[in-house]
Amino acid sequence: MRPPLRQVSIALRAAQTSQCHQQPPTRHFTTTPPTLHNPSTSSSVNETEISHFSALASSWWDPHGPSRPLHLMNPLRHDFIRSCLDSTPSPTSADETGLRYLDVGCGGGIFAESAARLPTTHSVTAIDPSPTILAVARAHAKRDPALSSMPKLQYLPTPIESLPLPASPSHRFDIVTLFEVIEHVDYPAAFLERVGQFVKPGGWLVLSTMARTPMSWFTTIFVAENVLGMVPRGTHDWSKYVNEGEMREFFAGGGVETGSSSSTEGGFGVWGAPRVMGVVFVPGLGWKEVKGSEKVGNYFLGVQKVG
Amino acid sequence: MDTILRRRGAYVCRSCTKTLRRQLSRNYSSAASQPDIYDVVCVGGGPAGLSLLTALRANPVTSHLRIALVEAQDLSKIRSWKLPPDRFSNRCSSLTPSSVQYLDQIGAWGHLERSRVQAFQEIQVWDGVTGARIEFDWAPGSAPAAGTTVAYMNENLNLTSGLLKRIEELGGVAVFDKAKVERIAYREETGDLDLREWPVVHLAGGKQLAARLLVGADGANSPVRSFAGIEARGWDYDRHGVVATLEMEGEGWGSGNEVKIAYQRFLPTGPVAMLPLPGNYSTLVWSTTPSNASLLKSLSAKDFIAMVNAAFRLTPTDLAYMHTQSSGQAAEYTWRLQHTPFNHRAVPQTALAVQDGTVASFPLKMRHADTYTTDRIALVGDAAHTIHPLAGQGLNQGQGDVQSLAKTIEYAVRHGQDIGVAMSLEPYVAERYAANHVLLGVCDKLHKLYSVGSGPLVPLRSVGLSAVNALGPLKTFFMNQAAGNGVKVF
Ligand SMILES: Cc1cc2nc3c(=O)[nH]c(=O)nc-3n(C[C@H](O)[C@H](O)[C@H](O)COP(=O)(O)OP(=O)(O)OC[C@H]3O[C@@H](n4cnc5c(N)ncnc54)[C@H](O)[C@@H]3O)c2cc1C
Repeated sequence: MRPPLRQVSIALRAAQTSQCHQQPPTRHFTTTPPTLHNPSTSSSVNETEISHFSALASSWWDPHGPSRPLHLMNPLRHDFIRSCLDSTPSPTSADETGLRYLDVGCGGGIFAESAARLPTTHSVTAIDPSPTILAVARAHAKRDPALSSMPKLQYLPTPIESLPLPASPSHRFDIVTLFEVIEHVDYPAAFLERVGQFVKPGGWLVLSTMARTPMSWFTTIFVAENVLGMVPRGTHDWSKYVNEGEMREFFAGGGVETGSSSSTEGGFGVWGAPRVMGVVFVPGLGWKEVKGSEKVGNYFLGVQKVG
Repeated sequence: MDTILRRRGAYVCRSCTKTLRRQLSRNYSSAASQPDIYDVVCVGGGPAGLSLLTALRANPVTSHLRIALVEAQDLSKIRSWKLPPDRFSNRCSSLTPSSVQYLDQIGAWGHLERSRVQAFQEIQVWDGVTGARIEFDWAPGSAPAAGTTVAYMNENLNLTSGLLKRIEELGGVAVFDKAKVERIAYREETGDLDLREWPVVHLAGGKQLAARLLVGADGANSPVRSFAGIEARGWDYDRHGVVATLEMEGEGWGSGNEVKIAYQRFLPTGPVAMLPLPGNYSTLVWSTTPSNASLLKSLSAKDFIAMVNAAFRLTPTDLAYMHTQSSGQAAEYTWRLQHTPFNHRAVPQTALAVQDGTVASFPLKMRHADTYTTDRIALVGDAAHTIHPLAGQGLNQGQGDVQSLAKTIEYAVRHGQDIGVAMSLEPYVAERYAANHVLLGVCDKLHKLYSVGSGPLVPLRSVGLSAVNALGPLKTFFMNQAAGNGVKVF
């Protein structure tokens, strides 16, 4: 049973606390951080999460290590972004100058490096709150002259809350990516709001995450962490997963504080209808797109900022 | 699991080489210049290497890659290779329709001398001991239209010359020919860049080429494969392939140049094949023992021709006897032929002459590398696998490798991957390894099955239907070729 759309939107806007909603499907998504008043000092990312990923730093680029599923997923991220860009007739001015990417929660740089290598890329700004992981990312980029000789790729050790928002909308980003990040964030609604501000009008916010369903608990926690050992234990906290329907409603509702923020420069903005692609990890074959699987497991979601 | 373990093994080996070479390079590199940095350095400009570079240059997705080719031979000679229309090189290979289609796709086929390429539409295969023949009994509806090309006979030099012309047309490949690879080594970290994992190819004269991806297209004795520490396993057949260009009594039993027929007879010493070239010419590939091969090479033209004609007509016993003679085979053949009943139209027309200087032989072996890739290294063609020539598949397998590797590189480029890392190369290995392995195995088993003059296999081969069944895999193979299914064995 899912609450009617309007109810969820209200819940999001009013920033109700978790107690207000008994149903698990909306619970965490409605929670906002207690201290978002001072964005520069607060971080969306939980300290335990940061230290968990820092501990994985050394194996980040080992193709047979715990990050293998991420490496295997990376090409699909590009395919999905391309399908988002191709879905609208006239892209931004990026056609001539190249696309400006902001990769939030870049980790060891698997996506950031690959985006920087594409000829259609103008620049990649990749941020992560863990300096340990960014050290890995920087060291790894040094191994490729194509990355280190061109200042296309920039790593910044910062949470999104501390990243200065470019004043003019045209200096914001064509593509802001959040790959496997939302499920590690304590207050996803406020976090998405902040992230959304960095998208230039006409640009895309693209994310991937998993739905919070018995199936995703089974595949990502029970099987991936406990049975196959494919992903280290403690990587996921199932209660933080956000469902695809919740995402849709969130963007349709214009974020937490639609009324007030859309009038300001840094506003959350108006978003188009999300594009969604469900993917399933098939051991031995890698990730495959499976229509409808966004309801039960991993999915990509892309939304264009239309205003 | 197996591959992972093997790959680990290769890593260990490689790091031994690495330390060793590093020590060597320390003495050397004091005076050494900085290496030139390339995305792809291909060692070997044979059919496989040249096709790969053509494919990469012809594809707009990969054409921006910085590419270098290192080849020991003088490529300008190959590029301008030319022979009169009545002379043919002795190194010919059959190209399957799928290889030709790919060469056309990358824009190379049009650069070959097409008048020197001969399509054939039929194959006659029979067992020299029992006489059993493969009947091409097509299932209803599955037979290819009459006149469908099974394969194309072509001189290897016509192919490499055409590929070089296409590469020249495309431009953008730094060619280092007449260049001996002196060694391949890893470097130490140098300040801003960390190229410790990039192989550096050192050429005589001090030139150094650092490779994001080093491709070993350097043939069966691949120095790149040795550097990578990849083991190639297999065995020598204790057989040589004797090749020659022959002038025949006519254009063949088909209808002139329109329908040409290839012939292969399995003798206890190995298969002998007569493959059609344009006009009255044919090319011979005769797999036989090293001592037979040296005898054949020592014979006068007249006696050599007699042996070739005998190989398709006389009994294995007669042939064995003629191999004990140091000369006089021509007279022996004429006499023995009168006492041997055979159907003229079921064997190649009579060979009348052999072109000067075309009799040569090559040792035959079977080798398969443990894997085709490690970090920043990929093997293609004979560097990855060497096969018995009985099914004419060596070069075609290399084309399959090239097609797959070029596709793998394109995918990696499109998705911003580093094309050199083992992970990016995984699809190439996954696509080609098992396919090549099956083909190597089939050709190996066919060779063994038919290289027996007596013993338990022969009665099996000679009992009517069983004989045909024993030829089954070979038949399936050729039928698949004829049906345009490419290299599909089962
Ligand atoms: C008798 C015989 C008959 C055959 N018939 C057929 C047939 O009908 N059909 C078929 O498909 N195949 C056939 N083959 C197999 C075919 O010839 C080979 O598979 C094919 O030539 C392999 O191509 P390649 O480019 O991988 O290697 P190669 O042709 O061996 O090319 C390797 C290149 O690397 C260069 N090289 C090597 N080492 C170095 C170095 N250190 N530095 C610089 N350059 C170097 C060499 O000079 C050479 O040009 C036959 C083989 C034989 C022996």
